[in-house]
Amino acid sequence: MPSPPKNAAVIEEACLLARMGVGDREAFRELYSRYSAPLFSLAVRMVGDFGQAEELVQDTFLKIWRNAASFDPRRSRPFTWAVTITRRTCIDHLRKRRHNPVSTSLVPEEDLPREFSSVETVRRSAENSEDNELLRGALAEVPANQRQVLELVLFSEMTQSEIAEHLERPVGTVKSWIRRGLLELRKTLTESPP
Amino acid sequence: MNPQLEELAFQYALDQLNPSERAAFEARLDHDAALAEWVRELQDAVDRYVRELPRHEPPPGLLARIEARIGHPEVRRNPRSPALWSVVARWGIAAVIAVGVGIIAVQSLRQAPLSAGHSLMVVGLEPHQSTLAELPLLTRPQNADARFIQLASLAEQYWEKPEDLPFKMASSGQGGRGYALFDPASNQGFIAVRHLPAVGEGKRYHLWIVDSASGQVREAGVLPVTDPASGLYFFTVAPIEGARPGKFGFFVTAEDVSVANPDQPRGKVVLGNKTI
Repeated sequence: MPSPPKNAAVIEEACLLARMGVGDREAFRELYSRYSAPLFSLAVRMVGDFGQAEELVQDTFLKIWRNAASFDPRRSRPFTWAVTITRRTCIDHLRKRRHNPVSTSLVPEEDLPREFSSVETVRRSAENSEDNELLRGALAEVPANQRQVLELVLFSEMTQSEIAEHLERPVGTVKSWIRRGLLELRKTLTESPP
Repeated sequence: MNPQLEELAFQYALDQLNPSERAAFEARLDHDAALAEWVRELQDAVDRYVRELPRHEPPPGLLARIEARIGHPEVRRNPRSPALWSVVARWGIAAVIAVGVGIIAVQSLRQAPLSAGHSLMVVGLEPHQSTLAELPLLTRPQNADARFIQLASLAEQYWEKPEDLPFKMASSGQGGRGYALFDPASNQGFIAVRHLPAVGEGKRYHLWIVDSASGQVREAGVLPVTDPASGLYFFTVAPIEGARPGKFGFFVTAEDVSVANPDQPRGKVVLGNKTI
């Protein structure tokens, strides 16, 4: 039997989007107060640079504002929708950056802002056993190889074929790890509600 | 679930499908509640993953910069404006889809008044006439969300099948007709109107709730202006102190637009009656 929404926040946030859809700036501020930190954190994770993350989160919230009226609650929860917009915005940026790499700049390397390619950023985070924050909570229950591919598919611009190539594994294996990782995460979350 | 469908569910939850694949899968979701629930659980897992990332606060001033880019002057509208109503009602309809139809069980209406926690009110609205019925809930909702979903479910059921209403409505007639479904425990409800004549120039339709015991009246919102007005809309009202369950009525008036937020009805009553 399908279950109802898990908490009142979902209803509240759907209502905030509805209000934003008719131009309610107050609702926008409320949604910003709820989502800005997780979406900014997501952007930082994806692009590995605070300044670029800030620009991308600006773009993300503009898209949320402009498209609020088209939010369809049958498709996702409001936060899921916002995460999707953030990821797509970051992925577009990363793919452009891939085609216009910073290393082609004539600016001396030491003057460049500290940046990492997203693959490097994600891999470093996934492989760094000292990054205890990453391993907290439910994520700690997901085996390392599954967590690594989940991180790459969620937080990098790579396709699953590119992930397979990057990891030197068959695509089928990568997809299997993704499935098992997500199932493991779902199972853990079911056992430990937020 | 077959493996191909399961794989699509994973790819959808991870936003890995291309637009045509995504559209096809969403069409499937509309008719497969179990699949939709499975996808929702996978999406929840992704959401939690994101929420557990190391937290970074956005820099101060970011909100102001975004608002500057939004550009146009602040637009403040009635939070119960038509678009809001319709969107929120759509959420309610989505909730109905999520839980399936028929979760609400309605007993015979000819029973003694019930406490607010166990019943919903439904009021038939016709020109100069209201018909009140009280609907006991056999299934007691466990929380506010579940209660809202039951309310939305019943509203949608009546919208699709008006013959299920607990009273006979005029099948046609001048002046339109409708019904209000109200949950006294949460002070929220739905109003459905059909064929309400176009409101006159300089007027708009307002929905009011009246506690017939105390005579207190509250404005519940502004109805969408279409020609003719038909639709199912969500509303909320401020609690009426001391109101007794089972003694609420609803009516619709045409008010001057020059009065932004009227606290009392002054215009002509077009649907329902101020007294039950």
